[in-house]
Amino acid sequence: MNKIISIEHLSENVVKLSIEAPRIAKKRKAGHFVIVKIGEKGERIPLTISSSDPEKGTITLVVQRVGVTSHKIANLHVGDSVTDVVGPLGLTTHIEKFGTVLCAGGGVGTAPLLPIVEAMHKAGNRVITVLAARNKELIILEEEIGGFSDEVVIMTDDGSYGRQGLVTHGMEEIIQREKVDFAVIIGPAIMMKFSSMLTQKYNIPTVASLNAIMVDGTGMCGACRVSVGGATKFVCVDGPEFDAHEVNFDELLTRLGGFKDEEFKAYQTFLETLKKEVT
Amino acid sequence: MENMVEHLAQERSLEWREALRKSIKSKDRTSLERIDMPEADPVERAKGHIEVNQGLSVQMAVEESRRCLDCPDPTCIQGCPVSINIPKFIKYIEKKDFAGAARSLKETNALPAVCGRVCPQEIQCEASCFYTLKLKTPPVAIGHLERFAADWERKSGNMFIPEVAPANGIKVAVVGSGPSGLAVAGDLVRLGYAITVFEALHEPGGVLKYGIPEFRLPNEIVDVEIDNLKKMGVEFLTNFVVGKTATIQELKEEGYQAFFAGSGAGLPNFMHIPGENANGIMSSNEYLTRVNLMNAAHDDYDTPVLLGKNVAVIGGGNTAMDSVRTAKRLGAERAMIVYRRTLEEMPARNEEIKHAQEEGIEFLNLNNPVEYFADKNGRVNRIRLQKMELGEPDASGRKKPVPIEGSEYELEADLVIVSVGVSPNPLIPQSIPGLKVSRWGTIVVDEKEMQSSVPELFAGGDIVRGGATVILAMGDGRHAAAGIDRYLKKKNRSAS
Amino acid sequence: MDLTTKYLGLTLKNPIVVGSCGLTSSVSEIKKLEKQGAAAVVLKSIFEEEILMDVENQLREARENSFIYDKYSETLDYIDVHVKKEHLDEYIQLIKAAKKEVLIPIIASINCVSSSVWTHFAGHIEEAGADGLELNISLNPSDLVTRDFEQSIKVIIHKVLAQVTVPVTIKLNNSFTHMAKTILDLSQTGISGLVLFNRAHTPDIDINTMEAVQGKSFSSPNDFVESMRWIALLSDKVNCSLAAAKGIHTHEAIIKQILAGADVVQIVSVLYENGIESINGLLSGLEQWMQEKGFSSLEKFKGKASSKNVGNPAVFERIQFMKYFSGIH
Repeated sequence: MNKIISIEHLSENVVKLSIEAPRIAKKRKAGHFVIVKIGEKGERIPLTISSSDPEKGTITLVVQRVGVTSHKIANLHVGDSVTDVVGPLGLTTHIEKFGTVLCAGGGVGTAPLLPIVEAMHKAGNRVITVLAARNKELIILEEEIGGFSDEVVIMTDDGSYGRQGLVTHGMEEIIQREKVDFAVIIGPAIMMKFSSMLTQKYNIPTVASLNAIMVDGTGMCGACRVSVGGATKFVCVDGPEFDAHEVNFDELLTRLGGFKDEEFKAYQTFLETLKKEVT
Repeated sequence: MENMVEHLAQERSLEWREALRKSIKSKDRTSLERIDMPEADPVERAKGHIEVNQGLSVQMAVEESRRCLDCPDPTCIQGCPVSINIPKFIKYIEKKDFAGAARSLKETNALPAVCGRVCPQEIQCEASCFYTLKLKTPPVAIGHLERFAADWERKSGNMFIPEVAPANGIKVAVVGSGPSGLAVAGDLVRLGYAITVFEALHEPGGVLKYGIPEFRLPNEIVDVEIDNLKKMGVEFLTNFVVGKTATIQELKEEGYQAFFAGSGAGLPNFMHIPGENANGIMSSNEYLTRVNLMNAAHDDYDTPVLLGKNVAVIGGGNTAMDSVRTAKRLGAERAMIVYRRTLEEMPARNEEIKHAQEEGIEFLNLNNPVEYFADKNGRVNRIRLQKMELGEPDASGRKKPVPIEGSEYELEADLVIVSVGVSPNPLIPQSIPGLKVSRWGTIVVDEKEMQSSVPELFAGGDIVRGGATVILAMGDGRHAAAGIDRYLKKKNRSAS
Repeated sequence: MDLTTKYLGLTLKNPIVVGSCGLTSSVSEIKKLEKQGAAAVVLKSIFEEEILMDVENQLREARENSFIYDKYSETLDYIDVHVKKEHLDEYIQLIKAAKKEVLIPIIASINCVSSSVWTHFAGHIEEAGADGLELNISLNPSDLVTRDFEQSIKVIIHKVLAQVTVPVTIKLNNSFTHMAKTILDLSQTGISGLVLFNRAHTPDIDINTMEAVQGKSFSSPNDFVESMRWIALLSDKVNCSLAAAKGIHTHEAIIKQILAGADVVQIVSVLYENGIESINGLLSGLEQWMQEKGFSSLEKFKGKASSKNVGNPAVFERIQFMKYFSGIH
């Protein structure tokens, strides 16, 4: 049981929660993720660690309400507990002084991007970050990201904040303006696919942090397998970060939809139960 | 070893054993027929998750126990990886002292209810029973009797907790709570060590929980055995991945003096054929974990599982049998085993194959998948299979399956479970510098002590064997426990 | 001087391709070859027979290991699957590393004896970034059973083409009953090129010990004639690129092959015998000849001496050369 210390609603559907997990807080580095489970009958889902406080023994997770488990998490309160948290899992981000690093975060992908932006900044890189989302509501952690970036560009699909346009527009402008040595992209698979195509066009080495369906998170089940440059890799133990130009994003997109019908049905049932409980 | 022989002889000469032996003539004992295990009706059981083997009744158990001759040289014990004093517990059953039977099982076996269900007795104790060896008749049903005694005790509600030596304050870490880890913990806690079992998942039990289905081994039974270990003082830490949450080195700094790695065979293998990453194709580990550990088939649990009308399970081992029989229970119209060799060469236990056949599982032997096809949503819908024939024997001694050119055909399947073995979980080996591993990634250990190239690290089970049985893992655990005890005694003696 | 040539749809800076060999099995060597002027390399083959042998060895080793060997072990049952994966992964790594380090095209090579799962490796090889795929199909003509080798090769081609979009080329050995027809037929299966020929393992007998021994490991400078004949005869008839291989040790041999109609030549033995620096000499020899003859590009003389373009095509068609010399028609 891991107690919730604080909760902040970043938007209607996005919450940032800090939970007690002293060992993980001590060990975690940029790129690591945890697997969480809510309730005895809950599902195990992966969440990237956004930041941690080793002294207080807490880690910060950012969750967007998209299905049963994320909904349950978003509904928790301070003092409640997350039933199970295990980690830190995965390999850490490779950090070095590249020169200029372009970081792109789409939607809640900004949360796992934060520790990478921080580490890249501390390694002496010039860091330019592009944050993109559908609308202003979904732009999160702008201030924290800004603290470690030399420049932050905001892009929204509807133009409700920053500039109107896709993440790739913001990225391309920077690439054309100055020499970019390395890129990091995190966000929805479709956003990473197009961002990766862009940096490939300009021959910029790029890593993407993949989100995949997982059960155990330690390599045991193989649910998270992805094709990277002709080889099958497990996101949980070989990743979550891979050379973006080698990732088969179309396959990833298909695989993310692997339980779509089951998940949709479960979420509908869950929402109805919630409604019944309220009335 | 001599001590062991003496000890057995001494126990055998106890008055009650002698009296029992004399009560029935050996000739009358050998003329009794082996009692069959009652099994749930195949059609009925394939609809749900009730246990297939129903267990012996008191009367059946006592009758079967009479067949045991209480031999002066009990060869059956040599066949048991954990050296259970088999005649002793069987004679307790004959005496109708079932609690006594359970107690004597627990002298050497931390999980009798589990072993009674999943051990391959036909190649172990029962293969070296006097009946098998000398009389060439069916052996005493040792496994069924073991299960009977353990079940009887559990149902009595009065579980015997083995005595524990006074605490010696020496901390030992057990990595993984599967069969080998539980065996180590059970033996060492009894010797007074402070045992912490680290488990990566949210529940202890390892493969006994996530792998073996309810119809073969109900999770509740595993829980009861784990509870007993807790009562004996074993501490279980779940959600703890050794190598990640903390390294062996860090645990050493926290005072652990010896380690047992029983982290199992972690990584499922795939065949790397085209289309294998389609949706609806998954490892048996994933499928069984969803169903067994996460209860995915129950509506009130959040974890989803894919259901299939035509389910193909690729592989011929026990895990493949567990998967295909699970699929049948979850409503598959066709549940099929696809295996590239013949039925005789399957590594699965004969009993499992027989049960599967009774339940209507189809066996596509001498067939090998070469490609998968998916529908427009990316979900698998067909498999291209190639027929095989048996060629020359290979180095493993079995005839090698050879593809028949031009024999390829397609089979409809909307769920495919790949069960072609597992590789050792690299988390532990990778996190320990200098640890010697084999070319297959298994930890190399000394056969007697189960000690690795890193002196304080011992290992057993699938991380050493690749893919073996529960009982071999438990046997490793017992040997490792003895090895750890010897290692720590020696170390602490020289330190003081 | 324009030495560029098209091979398998790829534009190569010159006609010298380093054939599949030990020199093309490591990235550092490939880098050196590129530096010396090689226009492309064919990687060392992923060898089906070698992998099968490794499977056997590992099975034997596993059987002797009391921990691994067990009646119910599923690991042992599928050891071959793991071994194949290991070899494939290693090969994929080689392709990827080579693609990262050099600019010249990298052609992967599969040496296979059957059409089973090996053909499926092709897809992985393409994903790893190989620019082309050479299939070295070693069907063994020494067994005493009648087999339709041509048909078997077509089956393999068909399966591989279904897996990949990169160009596929077939390396043949020169033991077919109807060589011309076989080459022509294969060129129409959808492949992008043919490599003539594979160098077969050569046996020898030691007359002192009277034992069979391994023969010469390298080709002879005269061997190039074997492929030149068929290239001259068929270069204007085939539906794909042609690469000449085996016995190409001199720039003269290169010139002759191109005159016969070859798009590229593959060299191996000369690199072992004279060092990889010899690529330089071969190229300058070629350039010097072109200068002397007034050719500004390779295209200007490619196929100039093919059977269609020479006065007496019989020179390529004749097998019984006594007849040719006696002038009896």
